[in-house]
Amino acid sequence: MSEHVDGEVMVELLEPEELPGEVADGPELAVRATGLTKRYGTLVAVDRMDLAVPRGSIFGLIGPNGAGKSTTFAMMATLLRPTAGSIEVMGANPAHKPRTVRRRMGYMPDSLGVYDNLRVDEYLEFFAASYGIPRAEWPELVGGLLELVDLAVKRTAMVNSLSRGMKQRLSLARALVHDPELLVLDEPASGLDPRARVELRELLRSLNGMGKTIVIASHILAELEEMCSDVAIMEAGRLLASGPPRQILQQLGGARSIRVRFADGTAETFTVADDADQASLLRRLVVDDERDVVEFIEESGGLEQLFMSLTEGIVQ
Amino acid sequence: MINPVLARELRERMRTGRAFVVIGVFLALLILTVFLVYQGRQSTGVIEFDLARQTQLGRDLYEWVLFVMLALVLFFVPGLTAGAIAGERERQTLLPLQVTLLRPRSILIGKVLAGMSFLVLLLVAAVPVTVVSYLLGGFRLIDGLKGLLAVVIVAILHTTMVASLSAFTRRVQTATLLAYGFTALLVLLGPLMYVTMGIADSSHGNDQANPPAVLVAVNPFSVVADITTGATSTGESNPLRAIRSGVAEAKANNNDSWFAWFPEDDIGARFRLVNDGPSGLPAWVVGLAGMTLLAGGMAALATRRLRTPAEVER
Repeated sequence: MSEHVDGEVMVELLEPEELPGEVADGPELAVRATGLTKRYGTLVAVDRMDLAVPRGSIFGLIGPNGAGKSTTFAMMATLLRPTAGSIEVMGANPAHKPRTVRRRMGYMPDSLGVYDNLRVDEYLEFFAASYGIPRAEWPELVGGLLELVDLAVKRTAMVNSLSRGMKQRLSLARALVHDPELLVLDEPASGLDPRARVELRELLRSLNGMGKTIVIASHILAELEEMCSDVAIMEAGRLLASGPPRQILQQLGGARSIRVRFADGTAETFTVADDADQASLLRRLVVDDERDVVEFIEESGGLEQLFMSLTEGIVQ
Repeated sequence: MINPVLARELRERMRTGRAFVVIGVFLALLILTVFLVYQGRQSTGVIEFDLARQTQLGRDLYEWVLFVMLALVLFFVPGLTAGAIAGERERQTLLPLQVTLLRPRSILIGKVLAGMSFLVLLLVAAVPVTVVSYLLGGFRLIDGLKGLLAVVIVAILHTTMVASLSAFTRRVQTATLLAYGFTALLVLLGPLMYVTMGIADSSHGNDQANPPAVLVAVNPFSVVADITTGATSTGESNPLRAIRSGVAEAKANNNDSWFAWFPEDDIGARFRLVNDGPSGLPAWVVGLAGMTLLAGGMAALATRRLRTPAEVER
């Protein structure tokens, strides 16, 4: 999932002084930012960010509150203009060609804004009309979207009668109403119960399977780890690292912990450097030592470990 | 394709019971006005089989209904329209709307049209009440229609102003307070300035100069009062007639503008649009022109406010 850019794994571990740096180029990128900066007076919300989101990926943008994720998304979504640097979304500059970008991008902000006095189908029809989709296409479009987000049975229900999870799915359907190639989702799982989160994750995977690029910000790192092919980690407006999580971990020199449980009930923890090391450990235990291994689990915190290694808890 | 914002607004408005409550209250107050005026005149023996007095009652009823109708419209518009855009911000629905292909002006136009449509519905519902006074006579149909049309136009301009104001606040409550404050200024500021300047003038010792009549002309009540001048000038006193007299007086005095205080007399001439001379425009024309300019300016600013920061900086 990580070989999106000319067959090469793109991993960037950036030191602040190295920014802005080189980023992968070409039409294979859904989003490309170079030296992207957004200042509000003296506050630097996004600081010389270089970002490359490969097409067809599920790209997670991770960072603590105030890291600049939502500001970055707002610049992608044509809502904010960068103070410096440039950004291209599906090959177009959002600040110069907002309507071109809006046609190709679906944006779901972190706030759950819905019209309570509309029915579910009317809500989607309103946004279909707002994107200039002909009325004749609405019934089929709305039906298809509601099937996709599993809200078909709620088609004529009032929006205010939906649960939070259903409203989130409805918002996602709204972002999909014009069939965009790129989805920008700001904290879509926030406030959802575990079942709704799982359902949302499955839905995003299905959408990715349909060829859509998904850029997602979330605080739930474990979820992103399962879902994202690529991540970018931000703190205090700066991009700290970007690329497939495992690759970033390796570049950081992070060793993995492997917990092994044996048939006699004992358990041991081993440290390995990489996949090859992990494979040789397993071979040694099973083949050479002839031990009865019943469980062999990588214990590393994954994205969480990565996140904790890179960030310092700086709040702007 | 119909403006999506308009279609959605109308659907939402008519779905809630609020719209019907407003129409009900509006009609009830108009009917109460007719009843009270009719009863008041009857108790003083005004209408006893006297055709002249009956037509006078018809005229009075019509003017009272028109006055109350306009007052109610000015009262209801802020309540109904103030949340137009502030409501979108408050419930966080503006952002998803801004990233669609709708242009900011389409959003504002949809909001204003929705407010206007409801007002037109309100005023159409009130037509039967107006017909009662027409049946009694006392004014020509054309004068009656002119008055109603003036109320509709003033209501449309007022709706535009209030919807535009709504773009500058984030909370419906703030927007509503702002809208009522603005409406009070629209109605009272001009006459108050006129009176204040008149007092200042007399204390100055130059009683020959008067404040410019444009101050009283750009006012919803003045517009409606002035446009219905045609039929009669006699009969029982009523608020609309009093306003009409005030506007007429201001027009008559306007030839000696308050601005004649200044050394260059031609400065004052610029403010003598409203006068009784052959070149003077009727007060309602100046009033409507002033309100249209104000509404247009506010709508332009609101459209700018509705653009995303990225579009504003472009």
